[in-house]
Amino acid sequence: MESEAEAEEQQEFSYQQRLKAAVHYTVGCLCNEVALDKEVQFSKQTIAAISEVTFRQCEHFAKDLEMFARHAKRSTISTEDVKLLARRSNSLLKYITEKNEEIAQLNQEQKAKKKKKLENETKNSIEPEDTEVMESEN
Amino acid sequence: MADSPSPDSEPTTRTLLRRVLDTADVRSPRRRRSARNAIQRSVFETTSSRSLGSQTKTSVRRRSHGARSIGRLAHVQASAYLEKDTPRTLLKNILLTAPESSIMMPNPVVKLVPLSQVVQSYRRESSQGSLELQLPELDPPTTLGPGLPTSSRKKQRLRLSVFQQEVNQGLPLSQELPVNADSSSFTRSLNLTFTTPLQPQSVRRPGLARRPPTRRAVDVGALLQDLQDNSVASAPPVSRTDYATTSSPISELQPPLPEVTEAAGSEEAVRVKELEGSSEDEDTSGEPASPELATSTPELLQAKQSHEFLELPPPPGVGVLPSEPLEPVPARLPSRPRAAGPRPYRDPYRTGLSHYVKLFSFHAKMPMEKKAVEMVERCLDKYFQNLCNDLEVFAAHAGRKTVKPEDLELLLRRQGLVTDEVSMHVLVEQHLPMEYRQLLIPCAFSGNSVFPAH
Repeated sequence: MESEAEAEEQQEFSYQQRLKAAVHYTVGCLCNEVALDKEVQFSKQTIAAISEVTFRQCEHFAKDLEMFARHAKRSTISTEDVKLLARRSNSLLKYITEKNEEIAQLNQEQKAKKKKKLENETKNSIEPEDTEVMESEN
Repeated sequence: MADSPSPDSEPTTRTLLRRVLDTADVRSPRRRRSARNAIQRSVFETTSSRSLGSQTKTSVRRRSHGARSIGRLAHVQASAYLEKDTPRTLLKNILLTAPESSIMMPNPVVKLVPLSQVVQSYRRESSQGSLELQLPELDPPTTLGPGLPTSSRKKQRLRLSVFQQEVNQGLPLSQELPVNADSSSFTRSLNLTFTTPLQPQSVRRPGLARRPPTRRAVDVGALLQDLQDNSVASAPPVSRTDYATTSSPISELQPPLPEVTEAAGSEEAVRVKELEGSSEDEDTSGEPASPELATSTPELLQAKQSHEFLELPPPPGVGVLPSEPLEPVPARLPSRPRAAGPRPYRDPYRTGLSHYVKLFSFHAKMPMEKKAVEMVERCLDKYFQNLCNDLEVFAAHAGRKTVKPEDLELLLRRQGLVTDEVSMHVLVEQHLPMEYRQLLIPCAFSGNSVFPAH
């Protein structure tokens, strides 16, 4: 029993460590880009600190999103929850809303395409049938 | 027999006796064996109504059992009326010499009520000096006569006679009642004696006397300060003892700035608050001072009119007022005329926050700089703005227009105060008073009614 719990803990811990490592790597890449851009250098401790903060903040965000979804009596996290989360910083909120609109447009376009495809397919299916019928009749 | 009017129509014993004297036939039924006996029996015979009899009996009791009364009787006897020893004359003597007070009779018996009312009215008429007189008079109704055994016998006889009277008249008077009544009336009369003197005192003092004199002193000092400040602006300086000049600049200022008096009044209110140890926030006290304006302006007028106060308060008033209040005065005066300007924008924030700032400065237990206070105020302002914004957004997020406790719970959850282990109810129980707790946490009351109902 205890070994199972320990194993689970270890698994979770290793999982967490892997996630942290991934975040650390991503933060490092971003910092290098910014360093090249602004011609400033980042020390390793800075990158480590930033990655740690990012990781903890992500945890907070996740909890908040879940709370917001539950507050709106939903079981899935939607873009509304994300927007609520990002309301503090105006630029971030703007960015997110724009992205949201883009995604919404994409979705609409995709829907429209799908509809057309379906219509075409039904037409095509009807036409060969007609031709087949005509051929059969002939 | 004398036709005595019903006691219900007459309020006092005295008037009743008077009527008796006026209407009764002049006769002398018996030669008096002793002054008291004659009085008693003649009184008993002349009066047909029981209440009158009891009243006269009480008056007679008073006469017979008070040492002073006995002395008076003797004195009366020694007077010119000695020859005419009729009940009429004796009653007249009684009326002349009897004090205004009388004994209180109990209420439970119906017929005794008019007597008690009469007695009570007598009691109210009595002045404080009659306190001493009442105590010896109280003895008669009780099982008295510790020092007067002979008179007690007569008392008992009188009581029996009274009882017989009452019985004859068909009263539901039991023998227990007099005893109980006596004891209760004794205590009741004792209580009455203690209460009545308080009444006239409170009635005599008008409402103005309730105001503490210190406030008046401050008012006048403030008035002078305002006058000086105003005089700096417009009129010539005002001297303390010169009332004509005090009145003239006031009258001059009044037409152009009717709010000066209001400002002064609010200023006084501010000063009063400052004396009480309020904060340095000036504008905020202007708002709560507005209900006090009506009370402060008549004070101002009184202060202007009264000569005495002007001489006394200025030394303490000027000493009390530091240089600081001078700043609020010019700050308030120009702001007052533009009532609907930016002031309402600033004020709602500052009036509300000044309370918290005061709390903060109180709990700091250290003197705080003005800048620190201002910073605290700004931080509180931001904090509350954020708070209310969040609440609004949360409510909108849930598709609602009203903020509900669920939104607050979400806020507290975000702050980390409410967790999976610590629920909101726990916080409510810990920090809120009982009344709020009853509103928030549903509680089952008697009859299994739950409040607040979900």
